[in-house]
Amino acid sequence: MSSLTLIIIFPLLGFLINGLFHKFISKNWAGTLACFFPALSFLMALKMAYFVFTQGPITEDLYVWASLKETSFPLQIYMDGLSAIMTLIICGIGSLIHYYSTGYMSHDEGYRRYFSYLNLFLFFMLLLVLGKSLLLLFVGWEGVGLASYLLIGFWFKDPEKVIAGKKAFIVNRIGDAGFLIGIFLLFNTVGTLDLIDINQWFNLQTGALTSFMINLIGIMLFIGATGKSAQIPLYVWLPDAMAGPTPVSALIHAATMVTAGVYMIARLSGLYIHADVAMTIIAIVGAATAVFAATIALVQSDIKKVLAYSTVSQLGLMFLSLGVGAFSGAIFHLFTHAFFKACLFLAAGSVIHALHEEQDIFKMGGLFKRIPITAITFLLATISIAGIPPFAGFFSKDEILWNAFASSKGHFVFWALGSLTSFMTSFYMFRLFFITFLGKTRYPHPEKIHESPFSMTSVLCVLGLGSVVVGFLGVPQLLGHPFGIQNFFEKALEGTVAQVQLGTYTHETEFLFMAIAIFFAFAALGIVYFLYAKDLEKSSKLSQKLSFIYKTFYNKFYIDELYSFILIRPLHFFSRSFIKDFFDSIIIDGFLHGLASSAHYSAQQLSRLQNGRLQFYLLFVFLGLFIALSWSLYYV
Amino acid sequence: MIAQFFFIIFSLIALMSAISMLFLRHPMRVALALITTMLSLACLYATMGNHVLALFQVLIYVGAIMVFMVYVIMLLNTKDSSYLKRFSRYAIVAGPLLILAIFLFVPKLAISPISYLSSPATFSLASFSLSFITEYFLFFELSSVVLLVAVVCAISVIKGRKHV
Amino acid sequence: MFETNILLGLSLLLFLIGLTGAIIRRNLLVMLMCMELMLNAVILALVVLSSLWGNTAGTVLSFLIYLIAASEMAIAIPIIVHLVRSKKSLDAALFSDLKG
Repeated sequence: MSSLTLIIIFPLLGFLINGLFHKFISKNWAGTLACFFPALSFLMALKMAYFVFTQGPITEDLYVWASLKETSFPLQIYMDGLSAIMTLIICGIGSLIHYYSTGYMSHDEGYRRYFSYLNLFLFFMLLLVLGKSLLLLFVGWEGVGLASYLLIGFWFKDPEKVIAGKKAFIVNRIGDAGFLIGIFLLFNTVGTLDLIDINQWFNLQTGALTSFMINLIGIMLFIGATGKSAQIPLYVWLPDAMAGPTPVSALIHAATMVTAGVYMIARLSGLYIHADVAMTIIAIVGAATAVFAATIALVQSDIKKVLAYSTVSQLGLMFLSLGVGAFSGAIFHLFTHAFFKACLFLAAGSVIHALHEEQDIFKMGGLFKRIPITAITFLLATISIAGIPPFAGFFSKDEILWNAFASSKGHFVFWALGSLTSFMTSFYMFRLFFITFLGKTRYPHPEKIHESPFSMTSVLCVLGLGSVVVGFLGVPQLLGHPFGIQNFFEKALEGTVAQVQLGTYTHETEFLFMAIAIFFAFAALGIVYFLYAKDLEKSSKLSQKLSFIYKTFYNKFYIDELYSFILIRPLHFFSRSFIKDFFDSIIIDGFLHGLASSAHYSAQQLSRLQNGRLQFYLLFVFLGLFIALSWSLYYV
Repeated sequence: MIAQFFFIIFSLIALMSAISMLFLRHPMRVALALITTMLSLACLYATMGNHVLALFQVLIYVGAIMVFMVYVIMLLNTKDSSYLKRFSRYAIVAGPLLILAIFLFVPKLAISPISYLSSPATFSLASFSLSFITEYFLFFELSSVVLLVAVVCAISVIKGRKHV
Repeated sequence: MFETNILLGLSLLLFLIGLTGAIIRRNLLVMLMCMELMLNAVILALVVLSSLWGNTAGTVLSFLIYLIAASEMAIAIPIIVHLVRSKKSLDAALFSDLKG
């Protein structure tokens, strides 16, 4: 078996061993095994990535899934620059989160089950990014949805958590309907499901398909992406998904699964370049989601919900970047986002762990001195996400904003919405930091707060450091090449995703935009300092004055209630009254009951023929004889 | 000429006594009508030259079976409801059906042509026994089996259920 | 020589009469006697055809029918005696114990 396949197989082995033999493995060994396999995958991925970056893409055949007369569906594993970056993120951050989980979940009785699910998730995610055929991508797509459901509803004894898991899976599935239609249309028109061949086909035959069809395919595939990557209108599952354990939120709902949609669109960039309407729609939806989610995050009181809406917002930025044609910029932001968002989630997990499962930030405060490592790493990640240089988030966000303005498909409005989002991001992240870590403590038992174990803090340190430095891998040409590293991302993604022409703007304009972004970030920090630094009085007075806006934001614009009213209640009503009471009870049961009772009735009537009287039977003998005679005497 | 006359007479007697069997009330009279039918049939067989069967008809059928029948009628001589009401409720259907069948089928059968020999063969007892024992000897053996079985059955029926 | 068809027609006629008698009459013994009439009609047909084709097979078969008729009577009469003993009547309409 070749090396690329091994990357995928290792987590699968971990899942099988932990899942099937959990009775024979002690707790310690289960955790060690579960961390061992992703680490192996990471080392293997490093080796293969080095190979890919120096020598070019690698393909490995698995087998032929189906072979019809003219077409066949071969399954192949493929790694090029884009897949390599994704694989490194998945395996690297995945391994770190596995190690973190050994500390976080150590008291949980579902320890082994947790790790087997986590390994299963890694397996499917790797299948998604390393598959050359859309079939493998879709299998991975569905599989990560499954793993997400299993992990969100991990504490299945609590019915709310189960409902959250179901919601995630079902909303995902709705998006998948669009995705499947897109796949069918693609296969119908292009004739192959191989991702690289599809891109090439679109590059070579620009006139073969009507623009309507190309745009339709693009939009359908994007609908799938809205489901998986939590954009409007299918984002509603992500905040509820915070019901799962915090490492799960970090891995799945921040770093990897929700980025599958971004990966998919970036991979099919050859298609999207030719689908203008679809790209515009992606950009609009992305921008709208970014702003919308950021407004909700401004006023949330649960630490994980703030981070969840922040994830939705950042994903919106990534889609905005995709929509204006900056595919490599989106991937770069995906990369940095994985680091700082995972760090934020894991730090939040550490806080929750330290405060014994308390998640309301208004019951926190004054934690900076008590859990310093957590606080410092949280601060580093916050500065990164706010876009303050020279931290990582600044470079990736700046690239997106510049491309939103300067790209040939970009527009000033996109830049404005993106900047607004960045401002709000900085605001709510610093607000979160201030309320949670600074000021006087509001926690009832402050003496019980303790720092987390080494397994958790070490990972926090690694990720915190990462959210500081990884930005230097993608420094734009404008700022030269610090430390002698060329723009790694541009180089890595060179042959794999399309490039869009930028309008001609001077360097001064670029610097100006950069400066505006930095200004917004610091301005938000200043406002937050003013409102939240000493105590919460100023902010609570402000929220009372703007109570209508505050309430709307806090209740997520009542979107969930709207969906429930428009979609779910009519569906329930229809199911109950029409399907259950009419169709099922009356038609189906009536049909079966009717069959049975007609058999019963006919049997009853037939039994009347047996009345026990000999002469009655003889009469039928006579009739039979009559018929036989008439036939033999008249027809023969 | 004589033969034809005999045929007509005996056929008519057989027919009339058979029809009267349907209407007579007393079972004894029905038995006597049946005996008449059988005897006239025996005469018909004799006229056709089949003396063996004429003999057997009188000997076995009339002499044994009908005598037995008369004994039983005398034994079970009850004036019960079957005596008062002769006909069952199915007479309404069976009667017209009979008339219909007679008028539909009997003429058809009676005038359809059958090839026949110029002169009827005569069967003496000797030729009959010879063919019975040589050509149809299986049935000869089987008939003894049948008689044995009939005796056993009759005894078991007479004995009735064993009250264990 | 003679129209054997008429005798065959007579045979059919007697058979039908016997069958109708078995259906019509209520007395068990009369029913039995009508069944004997049916047997006789069959024997008549056999004899007619046997003498028509010069074959002794018909005669042999007729002999066997006599045999069977005798055995049948030997068994049927005790059965009827048992039935009468249980129901105290010869009426066929009363015998519907095997109903359903």
